[in-house]
Amino acid sequence: MGRDGVVGLLLLLISAIFYLQAQALPRPSLVPIGPGFYPEIVLVCLAIFSLLLIAWDFLGRRTVSGRLPGKAPAKPTAPPRYGMVLNTFVIFSAYVFALPLLGYLLSTLLFVGVLQALLKPPRAKEWVLLATVALATAFVTYWVFEGYLHVLLPRGRWTGLP
Amino acid sequence: MLGQLGASILYVLQPHTLIPLAVGTLAGIVGGAIPGITITMTIILVLPFTFGMDPLQGLAAMTGVYVGGCAGGLLSACLLGIPGTPSAIATTFDGFPMARKGQPGRAVWLGIWASFWGGLLGGLFLIFATLPLAKFAMEFGPWEYFSLFIFALSMVAGLTERSLTKGFLSGVIGLLVTVIGSDPIMAVPRLNMGSEYLRGGFPFLPILIGIFAFSQIMSDVEKIGTETLESQQGLKASLAVSHLKVIREIFTRPVVLLWSTVIGILIGVLPAIGGSAANIMAWDQAKKISKHPEKFGTGIPEGIIAPESANNANVGGSLVTIMAFGIPGDAVTAVMLGAMIIHGIQPGPLFIVTNPTIAYGLFAAYLLAHPVMIGLQLVGVRLFLRVVSVPKQILIPVVLVFCVIGAYALNNIMENVYTLLLFGVIGYLMVKLQFPLAPLILGVILGDQIEINLVRAIMTDSNPWLFLTRPISGILLSLSLLSIILALYQHRRSLRREMEQEVPVAAEVDEEF
Repeated sequence: MGRDGVVGLLLLLISAIFYLQAQALPRPSLVPIGPGFYPEIVLVCLAIFSLLLIAWDFLGRRTVSGRLPGKAPAKPTAPPRYGMVLNTFVIFSAYVFALPLLGYLLSTLLFVGVLQALLKPPRAKEWVLLATVALATAFVTYWVFEGYLHVLLPRGRWTGLP
Repeated sequence: MLGQLGASILYVLQPHTLIPLAVGTLAGIVGGAIPGITITMTIILVLPFTFGMDPLQGLAAMTGVYVGGCAGGLLSACLLGIPGTPSAIATTFDGFPMARKGQPGRAVWLGIWASFWGGLLGGLFLIFATLPLAKFAMEFGPWEYFSLFIFALSMVAGLTERSLTKGFLSGVIGLLVTVIGSDPIMAVPRLNMGSEYLRGGFPFLPILIGIFAFSQIMSDVEKIGTETLESQQGLKASLAVSHLKVIREIFTRPVVLLWSTVIGILIGVLPAIGGSAANIMAWDQAKKISKHPEKFGTGIPEGIIAPESANNANVGGSLVTIMAFGIPGDAVTAVMLGAMIIHGIQPGPLFIVTNPTIAYGLFAAYLLAHPVMIGLQLVGVRLFLRVVSVPKQILIPVVLVFCVIGAYALNNIMENVYTLLLFGVIGYLMVKLQFPLAPLILGVILGDQIEINLVRAIMTDSNPWLFLTRPISGILLSLSLLSIILALYQHRRSLRREMEQEVPVAAEVDEEF
């Protein structure tokens, strides 16, 4: 089974689980439809399209996914850096979870610094630029949003700082 | 109407609104000029700034971003051969060759002035068409609204060139996201997995930001360090030009200007098609009606005037759809819709009637954004071009910080940021699995309204045939079916052509609708 088939199965499973939950919703006696009516329609549609996706994958009839007819072959490019993407997501997740603990300023400073270093490891003098960008991003955005626009930013439970 | 418009123009010219408009336009030009930073991304970055403003200030800023962004994309399109935004793809076809022939100033300013005139003509349509369309939409009952939203969703899903099934799946997933939370009629919690946060459902702005921003950013991260260094010579060229001569060049081609504007407006009105289609279609049409089609692609004025007037006119068309029907014309207006809701404004047919100050203020902001754009370009076009060379390793973290601020500032709760992260992952996975993003976003935006109108219609009269027998509803549902059949037909034609040619290409990111 190809990638599309796996995705189709996963979506079918999700539709089944949610459908059971929707079935358990109360059905009012005084009105013709209840809270489960619309979700059930959506979930049935999800199941139908998921089955179609599985069927297309099974029959080997690849859809036009990624194949735009009539286009010239793409020039050979370097393989995508999925490891870098994963690391970026990990660092971003760490930033998001650090925000309510460390506060906006410290979390943002660390995040911008670490991510810059990950995306392009700095040489000797580039550390100064890296630090400047991290400090400027954290403090300028804090000043503009909290100080000027009165848009509150997260406070840190551990540090007590914004 | 004209009196109210005049008063609104005077109001928007006051510093408290003009400054946000100018700053938004500037942000749009700069964001549009940087390849990889789309207009959608720029408006997402500007969004958190608008939370602290009054509604018209915020909308003026966002309108400025929209207008500026459409014009900004042509800068790198002409000088680097790389479109700054998808709305400037076709501009590269003639803009870059013209610049390389030693006329970079002429290329850039033909594009800027064409954007100006195309945008103003689109503004006329916006001003004169919105109220009649809104009045027409006020005749709608729940059956008609339901059918209109289904038509919008089926068109978007059907427009995907890739898998039709994935297009519809994407739309249905969007609808499913809106089901999670409380039922909009009786407020019964459903599918919320016991979470108190999810009782209110997912807020749509963090979803929008997560889906669009992360899919674009992570696609850039995939390529970081592996791009070839593009020649930056184009950025150093002189852009001096006689503006009167350039404007005369545009006006001596009235058919190209007007026809391209019409194309831009029509595409803008149709939901979720976007400026990139307007840009390309206008160039294609200009070539078809030209006496010298063989010259297109060699650096001729028509090849710049057509796409640039169309992509700015497209803005006017998109604004009509959101103001008259409450349906976003593209991703940018989807973000604007979110901003309106945050400020307590419900876009739709009643918008112009219940909020005339803001509606006419928006018209005025749209019109005034064009001379502001010209003024900013005259003063700072050289400076904007320097920003194009900001390294990605600096841009990406800063953009992500703005995304977090945008999500958090909505209600000052971290759960919105977790939603941003969740849908960022989902958006990226969808792109890698070649699911289009536009149907999902439209499903999220329209899902609640689809349910509310469906339930209202059935509670009013349980006869389901009314959806077909009421004329407007019937026509809209028939158009939905027609768009699906047309999409199936085009899809089969593409498959047949593909089998003849068998030319695989790398999957592309949906940067805009």
